Amino acid sequence: MTRPSFGQRVRRNEDARLLTGRAMFVDDVNLPGMLHVAFVRSMMAHGTLKGIDAAAARQRPGVVAVYTAADLGDYCKPGPVLVNPPPVPGHVFHGCTQLPLAKDKVRYVGEPIAMIVAESRYVAEDALADVIVDIDPIDAVVDLEAALKPGVPLVHPHLESNAAAHVVQRKGDYVAARAKADIVVKRRFLYDRGVAAAIENRAVAVDWDPRAEEMTIWDTTQAPIPIRNGLAKMLGLLESQVRVVAPFVGGGFGPKIMMFYPEELLLPWAAMRLHRPLKWTEDRQENFYATTQERGQVHEAEMALSKDGRILGVRDWFLCDTGAYDPYGLTIPINTQCTLLGPYDIPNYETEFTSVFTNKPIVTPVRGAGRQHGVFVSERLLDIAARELGIDRVEIRKRNLLGPDRFPHNHEIMFQDSAPLVYDSGNYLPTLEQAAEIIGYDKFIREEQPRLRASGKRVGVGICCYVEGTGIGPYEGARVTVEPSGTVRCATGVGTQGQGHFTVLAQIVADALGVGVEDVRVVTGDTREFHWGTGTFASRGAVVAGSACHAAAMSVRGKILDLGSAILGAPADNLELSGGRVKVAGSNDPGIAFGDLAGRANPLRGAVRPGTEPGLESTAYFGPDRGSTASGVHAMIVEVDPETAAVEIKRYLVVHDCGTIINPLLVEGQIHGGVAHGIGNAFFESLVYDDQAQLMNASFMDYLLPTATDVPPIETAHRETPSPFNVLGLKGVGEAGCIPTGAVFAQAVEDALGPGAGVEINEIPMSPNQLFELMHVSGKERA
Amino acid sequence: MKPAAFEYHRPDTRPEALALLEQHGGDAKPLAGGQSLIPAMNFRLATPAVLVDLNRVGDLAYMRVDSGVLRIGAMTRHRDVERSEDVRRAAPLLFEAMPFIAHAAIRTRGTIGGSLAHADPAAELPAVMLALDATFRVESVRGAREIRATDFFTGLFGTALEPGELVTEIQIPVTPATGPRTGTAFTEFSRRHGDFALAGVAARVTTDERGTCVSARIALFGVGDRPMAAAAGARLLEGQTVSDDLLRATADATAREDIDPTGDIHASSRYRRHLAGVLTRRVVARAFERSRVTHEE
Amino acid sequence: MNLAGTFTFAGPRATVWALLHDPAVLAKALPGTKTLTLAGPGRYEGAMKVSIGPLTAAEFAVVVTLSDEIEPSHFAMQIDGKGGVGFAKGSATVDLAEGADGGTVMTYASDIQIGGRIAAVGQRLVESVGRMMMKQALDSLNAELEARVKK
Repeated sequence: MTRPSFGQRVRRNEDARLLTGRAMFVDDVNLPGMLHVAFVRSMMAHGTLKGIDAAAARQRPGVVAVYTAADLGDYCKPGPVLVNPPPVPGHVFHGCTQLPLAKDKVRYVGEPIAMIVAESRYVAEDALADVIVDIDPIDAVVDLEAALKPGVPLVHPHLESNAAAHVVQRKGDYVAARAKADIVVKRRFLYDRGVAAAIENRAVAVDWDPRAEEMTIWDTTQAPIPIRNGLAKMLGLLESQVRVVAPFVGGGFGPKIMMFYPEELLLPWAAMRLHRPLKWTEDRQENFYATTQERGQVHEAEMALSKDGRILGVRDWFLCDTGAYDPYGLTIPINTQCTLLGPYDIPNYETEFTSVFTNKPIVTPVRGAGRQHGVFVSERLLDIAARELGIDRVEIRKRNLLGPDRFPHNHEIMFQDSAPLVYDSGNYLPTLEQAAEIIGYDKFIREEQPRLRASGKRVGVGICCYVEGTGIGPYEGARVTVEPSGTVRCATGVGTQGQGHFTVLAQIVADALGVGVEDVRVVTGDTREFHWGTGTFASRGAVVAGSACHAAAMSVRGKILDLGSAILGAPADNLELSGGRVKVAGSNDPGIAFGDLAGRANPLRGAVRPGTEPGLESTAYFGPDRGSTASGVHAMIVEVDPETAAVEIKRYLVVHDCGTIINPLLVEGQIHGGVAHGIGNAFFESLVYDDQAQLMNASFMDYLLPTATDVPPIETAHRETPSPFNVLGLKGVGEAGCIPTGAVFAQAVEDALGPGAGVEINEIPMSPNQLFELMHVSGKERA
Repeated sequence: MKPAAFEYHRPDTRPEALALLEQHGGDAKPLAGGQSLIPAMNFRLATPAVLVDLNRVGDLAYMRVDSGVLRIGAMTRHRDVERSEDVRRAAPLLFEAMPFIAHAAIRTRGTIGGSLAHADPAAELPAVMLALDATFRVESVRGAREIRATDFFTGLFGTALEPGELVTEIQIPVTPATGPRTGTAFTEFSRRHGDFALAGVAARVTTDERGTCVSARIALFGVGDRPMAAAAGARLLEGQTVSDDLLRATADATAREDIDPTGDIHASSRYRRHLAGVLTRRVVARAFERSRVTHEE
Repeated sequence: MNLAGTFTFAGPRATVWALLHDPAVLAKALPGTKTLTLAGPGRYEGAMKVSIGPLTAAEFAVVVTLSDEIEPSHFAMQIDGKGGVGFAKGSATVDLAEGADGGTVMTYASDIQIGGRIAAVGQRLVESVGRMMMKQALDSLNAELEARVKK
């Protein structure tokens, strides 16, 4: 009997290849005659592009071609808006997307201006300095609030202001609720930008075969199929003439779902003209400009409560930095609006945002995608309300959690997938109680903290709740095939960037068919293998592609049973699938191996009966009406050095509920990575722009990613509240680790410093220098 | 991030290396561990026309103690210094500082001479050399000379080296374990382990049998354009026995008078000054404590 | 980057004014200056190669334009430097007042924007480099002044 793999800590199918260096990445593509590409990028954040003189670069030995916008002709068109705004009544949205190469105007440092193709990347970089770019500078738009003032230069001069979008969403009647409140807490919150910092930067390699008229594009994208579809259309090719391969990709985290990056558009175009293979691999410094970023938001928010700590309503007003262009529509700020509600019963809610164009790199979702901002605002307001009302932090949360009888719960506002925000299922109170128990909250507050404080140590605990909307549509598909060798092949369209798709999708198929996980070969990220799909984003791979794999595998299971029944002469109900064989249940007859059955299903003589198909193969699609809602609680213990403002994280706990768990090992891996990302956002990482939008820390020397020495061991506990929205009960987990980290960090540090310090952290990231200033200022104010 | 073209030489002997450096003068850069130079070249912020690779020069990597001096060849890797029993015994301050330098992988390649000649104002070793009153032997085809650490660091990445000169040996007076007792201590504050310090302090305190400070040296890094000797702070210690007030006064004087830090994105001038004071107090206290421990040995 | 301060020259104001307008003197005083010529009224053009220890940024084309000149007490400058690894662009004001003992007190203020790779990876050093270059330039000018005054 093959043991079901669901819930087991199954080792990853892909690791042997990854760990022994045999996995293929885009930069491993090396073809005879390959040329290398570098881009001349704007050094100015904002200005009129008056001229480009590439004559010297074209003369340099080893340079094959230099292209500017003028050379692109009709191909130089603004890219598409990828995600149309959800139909919120009254919303305003100005879609402004970028050209492959800048023409007339530059809008951020790093915007590509010219493309250099040379015999080596060394020569291409030598030639960068040969290109003379004449830019007449315009004052850069940097600060979100200043950007909206009258008279400020416009990033997109055809618009009336730098506002990219405006959306108001309402639930209940906040004004009436506020009038009845015993207390209203109001604060201003900042949450600033970071980079996704995938270990592999972006890369594109292209091979155009002019005789076969076929193009192969290797791309680090999270969305190979949409890239194929779009490029085929733009290049005037059939979709079947273009093959996009997203091989192993060293981390995505969101920016690699962006399309189309200029480099993705330009290399295929140039390859068709030069008839030589091309490759561009982004270097780390380019990545700080040329790859999308996220997180800049400013909130003015208030929460109205009764004196027993029940939330009567929340009003939030915020600005969201969208950077120089807004190809990703409103996904991020809508996520913020929706995630602010968290696991709480918030009957009245008014939320309004303005999305703002600035002269900074383009903003598209990065792991969390606006969710951490919403969580930061509601969790901070709850902390402040708890303090003012004299209610314990955990207690005030307990009083406001949605009960298990409230699902599905309609929040009456619109989510990023253009469907109403409905929580599918959840059981929040036990999660919070379990987290408080594991971290030892009560004992810590009652005994440890006072004891340590008496000895001069400043230690504190933080504990915060969150939900994460995951697993949204539109759809994914999968094709499951039993090959005559008995190997099961599962092809799907989602790309993979380290999540473990080769294992979790294999587990889903393996359990449906009764084979070992290692016997299922998952093929993904290659448009030749599967034609339809969207991509890997929004914590949806396991939920959406997984459900499609399950459906396809169940269909193949049906075919196995049908054919097995015919051959074995037993009703399908009496058959069992195990160990890669179908047999009569309880019989000593070994039955038939799947491989043999596959051969019988594809006969060389005889006919496939009408109404049946050859082979043991099925294709299925899954498109959920709406996403499923994961949830959890993070808790953290920190120690602060009151003299230096150094913060040390002593413990970090995540109690998480992502529905049915396919593989706890992989869930924990996702959470660990997410927490590291969140710790980075909270304490280390910060993109520092000067007043002309020059990034001052575009290297890992000054952009501080947390390293192994900065991330503590992460404790995890799992709860499983299955989603009713898909057969397997799955919810996503890709982003959970980084969503509440900033809020927990702020609460824990405040707690460590104690009420006497008068420090309130309403800003993320919070460096030791900023914390020092806060401690110093509040110290002075007290004196 | 590919370097500009350069000419590459890999001499096998010291005279060949010195001849190449002489021949190419200011156009040449010696390549030791390459942990600072190569990244700068990849950013094209350093574009030397000629690299003289010292990694094949055989007689530049060694550590030995003779006549009260710890001698370390310039091409000795940080990792070897870090693991040296000689260094632990003869220069406990240096031994204590080594793990703070970058990361193990970098220390495996990086060299002591390369780090000192590079003279990064936020680096650990230059300040340690000031605190230990080390001397550097430098050689060129014209001959050899010795430069005290106090005279070596002249400004931002600036040293007293002339074109064609190479640091070949670091000479550190052995911290005396008898007679007046000496305690040393080191610490730094950096955002992450291995980062450039926002502020760091190395101190050496020598006391007599009654615990009175006979001499003291305090050196700071990350708070100026070069490693800074804290003269005002150290002066307060001499002739005194340790007390909280003394430590506080020393820290204040050091932070106020001995340094004038610039601000950057990681730390304002004010925060750096504050950190320098806190760290000075902690380090000097520990150095005093350790001078007492050597008494009791 | 904002650099501001005062500096006392050991010589009369008229001579200081003349030195500050003499491209040959400035070329010697400003660290890394390879060429500097008067290209028109109040307009200086040249090339600089700034080295800080092992770091040598590639060559910069520099244009300095003087304005608001009130001889011998005040002038303003527009500074525009461009190179392969970045740019420096900004303005500065210089005021000269007669000091004690026949000296001249210069008060300067500048607001220089640094861009490109120098800003991106050199931020740890930018302010220190600015301070260092200013000090070297002023010391060198003062030495030249003393030499002239002695003559």
